[in-house]
Amino acid sequence: MNRRHKLTRRQFLQISALATAGAVATACGPKAPTEVEEPATEPEADKPAPTAKPEEPEATKFNEAPMLAALVASGDLLSVDERLPLNPYVCAVAEMTGNYGGTIRRGFKGVSDRWGPTKHIDRSLVWYDQDLVLQPRILESWEVSSDAKTYTMKLRKGMKWSDGSDFTAANFMWFYNYHVKNEEISPSVWGPYSTRDEEGNKVLCGLETPDDYTVVLKFVHPNPMFMYSATRSNNGFYSPGEFMAQYHQELVEDKDALQAAVDKAGFGSWTELYGDRNWWYLDKERPQVYPWLAKNSLAEELFIMERNPYYFAVDPDGNQLPYLDTVSHRLFESPEVFNLWIVNGEVDFQNRHVALDNFTLFKESEESGDYKVFVGNSAGHQALQLNLATKDDQLREFFNDRNVRIGISYAMNRSEMNELVYNGMLTPRQYSPLELSPNFYPKLSDAYIAYDVAKANQHLDDAGYTEKDAEGFRTFKDGTSLSFIIEGTAETGTAGEDAAQLVVKYLADVGIKATYKYFERSLYTEHFNANEIEGAWWGGDRTVVPLAPGAPIFRGTMVDRPWAAGYGLWFNSNGTDPNGVEPPAGHFIWDIWDIWAKISVEPDPDKQNSLFEEILDIWAEEIPMVGLLGASPALIIVKNGFRNYLPGMPIDDTTGDEHLLQTESYFWENPEEHMG
Amino acid sequence: MIVYIIKRIGMMIPTLIIISMVSFVIIQLPPGDYLTSYAANLRQEGDMVDTDELEMLAERYGLGQPIYVQYWKWVSGIILRGDWGQSMEWRKPVKDLIWERMALTVFLSLISILVSWFVAIPVGVFSATHQYSMPDYLFSALSFIGAGTPGFMIALVIMWIAMRQFGLNVGGLFSREYMVEPWSLAKFVDLMKHVWMPVVVIALGSTAGSIRTTRANVLDELQRPYVETARAKGLRERKLIWKYPVRVAMNPFFSTVGWTLASLISGQTLVAVVLSLQTTGPMMLRALTSQDMYLAGSFLLLLSTLTVLGTLISDILLAWVDPRIRMGS
Repeated sequence: MNRRHKLTRRQFLQISALATAGAVATACGPKAPTEVEEPATEPEADKPAPTAKPEEPEATKFNEAPMLAALVASGDLLSVDERLPLNPYVCAVAEMTGNYGGTIRRGFKGVSDRWGPTKHIDRSLVWYDQDLVLQPRILESWEVSSDAKTYTMKLRKGMKWSDGSDFTAANFMWFYNYHVKNEEISPSVWGPYSTRDEEGNKVLCGLETPDDYTVVLKFVHPNPMFMYSATRSNNGFYSPGEFMAQYHQELVEDKDALQAAVDKAGFGSWTELYGDRNWWYLDKERPQVYPWLAKNSLAEELFIMERNPYYFAVDPDGNQLPYLDTVSHRLFESPEVFNLWIVNGEVDFQNRHVALDNFTLFKESEESGDYKVFVGNSAGHQALQLNLATKDDQLREFFNDRNVRIGISYAMNRSEMNELVYNGMLTPRQYSPLELSPNFYPKLSDAYIAYDVAKANQHLDDAGYTEKDAEGFRTFKDGTSLSFIIEGTAETGTAGEDAAQLVVKYLADVGIKATYKYFERSLYTEHFNANEIEGAWWGGDRTVVPLAPGAPIFRGTMVDRPWAAGYGLWFNSNGTDPNGVEPPAGHFIWDIWDIWAKISVEPDPDKQNSLFEEILDIWAEEIPMVGLLGASPALIIVKNGFRNYLPGMPIDDTTGDEHLLQTESYFWENPEEHMG
Repeated sequence: MIVYIIKRIGMMIPTLIIISMVSFVIIQLPPGDYLTSYAANLRQEGDMVDTDELEMLAERYGLGQPIYVQYWKWVSGIILRGDWGQSMEWRKPVKDLIWERMALTVFLSLISILVSWFVAIPVGVFSATHQYSMPDYLFSALSFIGAGTPGFMIALVIMWIAMRQFGLNVGGLFSREYMVEPWSLAKFVDLMKHVWMPVVVIALGSTAGSIRTTRANVLDELQRPYVETARAKGLRERKLIWKYPVRVAMNPFFSTVGWTLASLISGQTLVAVVLSLQTTGPMMLRALTSQDMYLAGSFLLLLSTLTVLGTLISDILLAWVDPRIRMGS
């Protein structure tokens, strides 16, 4: 850990030195900031006011990129004031106001890897600030009723789609009426707009638009977590109805023409064509609100996104964002080629697909590749999951004994594994929220993590497993032999497999017989979905803002982390899944589910957090999954001269990976050197 | 001869039908289907997957139906409408996907095969006629190294050297500025600048093997009495070697046309993956791993058709080249 801190501090010093130099050099002339309503970070007060400002023919309230100014001058584009909302989103900048222009280069793995580009640009109703607190993004503001059933959301007046049409409450209404309520497109109730009734069935909320800029959601049941589901759009909430109507069977006039289009594209039904055209990366004609727009198709070797002239955000100085002209993603088939690009300086900003195993390689090529490796905080953990709902009765009894799990936790030599397998880069801890998380809870992260074979044996003896066979392995209480299989998807020769083999060894050291077996991913999936799994060596993430995704791992409902596979299946299916197992009365998982039921109707975030602490207390007591190592560093390749991203940020799916800090504010110190 | 060809074509049809069935079954053999891997992918990315939604998708793709229904749906589409189905992963018709990459793949494979033959045959003949000479030992050593080193390893080493020593841009067949451009002379020139690396890598492995085969075959022939006779009659050594033993020694090249056709498409998948080439190999590999069944099935069907066709062609060629071969009665 020391290493990480040192590194971070050094990088921080470098950054600050550069920041001062950069701020002086900043050429972008800001006008007086417009009403900065943004509760996020204030613009730096000590920044010297830039003096040089390019003269424009007409004085506008906001500033824009040179490439757009040229279009405005030639009359092809509205002026920046007309393109922006009256009260644009004032995007916080992590370091300073930036320069316009330039391209960044990233790598991706094709259509199935659409998440990379998507997370870079997706803009939804709200987003996290640097302290991981939700702030309005597309929304101007929102209010929640005290019963957490009614959400009143205000839109930004004058906000526009990328084709220049108005973005209003009607776009929410269209999506609600024709996408959510259309049973062919949405055969089940759309997740974010649903709550569950007593029987567990999903119930759709109501949606009203009292005026053009107000959207009111009325849930039937309290839904205090709604805003967390609105951090990403996933093609939801709002839709460019006028455009999408041409692919919608209900709305299109010439139904034969639509059918012909469906046949021509090779689809089976109109909903497939509709769904296809609805993706920003497949149909570049579809209007968007994102900072960059697809310029070609994602199925090509080089996928290019170019700035959206109508993007609704400005920096604190009133410059329309984004700063970067284009973002490009280049296809690679194997990680080797991607690694070569990195060390050759051909990747400008990326965490995705950057493997920790290659830290040394990336670090030693920093100078020749003209980049820095930033170290962020990964949410992932390495953990042993013992399926508390496993089918074998004796094994289930064994796993469900709290003394057994605590004994196993004591038996794990976490620092040795850390040094042997991970070069000491991880931290011994239980699966728990990260230190930078609002829900950080040392009582859980440090619970039973000491390496103490004597205590381990004591707990296992206390549990009554004292008998041993000829080889010295503990037996079940009736003397029959005890052993189980730990499944994992870490292949032979990988760090993950080395770690799993160490776990097997540590278990053997306290007389427990287990073997590690590699399973191909889909076979592993079959196993946990059928509750056919005994133990698993798998990770645990979602530890930055655990409440946002609904803390599924803590509740055991995310079954690919199968610490209670059968129970999770039972809960998720309302007891209908034949592989589900109802937890026995008095099982601690019931307490976890009861507390969660309270959290999910609790409107007050502070109370949500304190209730969640009760779940963490149960975890610290019961150790439902035996966590070994966590707080892994995450590597972010950052080309020198690329600004407004900071080291030490959380890298978690929930918070957008390396895109937590508002991609539209990223910029080049010297954009003219990064044009292609 | 014509009767023979017609008979052989007649046999191809049931063979292909059986192959298509077997390949469709094999694709379905691994547990799960495209939706399982799709759902796993979604989960990994933090999206919560609705059971309802998956059921709906399964119905949409017809995944819930019995295997023979799915098979018939697929095969009848191909035969009746030339419709190879839709790739679930790429969300595009299979035929568009395959043809998009086919030209580049065939171009690359043909160049590599020609380069490899162009090098292997003279070197192999030279090695055979100069058996146990210094150059023979040298070529033998080189070809053992070439045949023993996996292509992807060579690819990695060459990429590293190209990048570190010569500062070249590696991976893919085009420079960044030409990737999304339509075809032009400049783009073709750019392609030629990049194509040497995969050609060298692919040709290296197959050249090594071909040198060994040629050498062994020519050596066999050199022992034959007819060579002795020809020499005794005073035929010039050069004319003798190239006209008789070499011609016979070529037989393996013709009999392997059967695989060569198929390997035009699937050949060197690993090398293509490592070098990030936009050819059909990596696409087929990905289709198989993600269980994108119509795409994977189409590839398998295409490959086996080409193999069957290639076998026919090679049989005809052999019969034509080698008069010793008789049509069976």
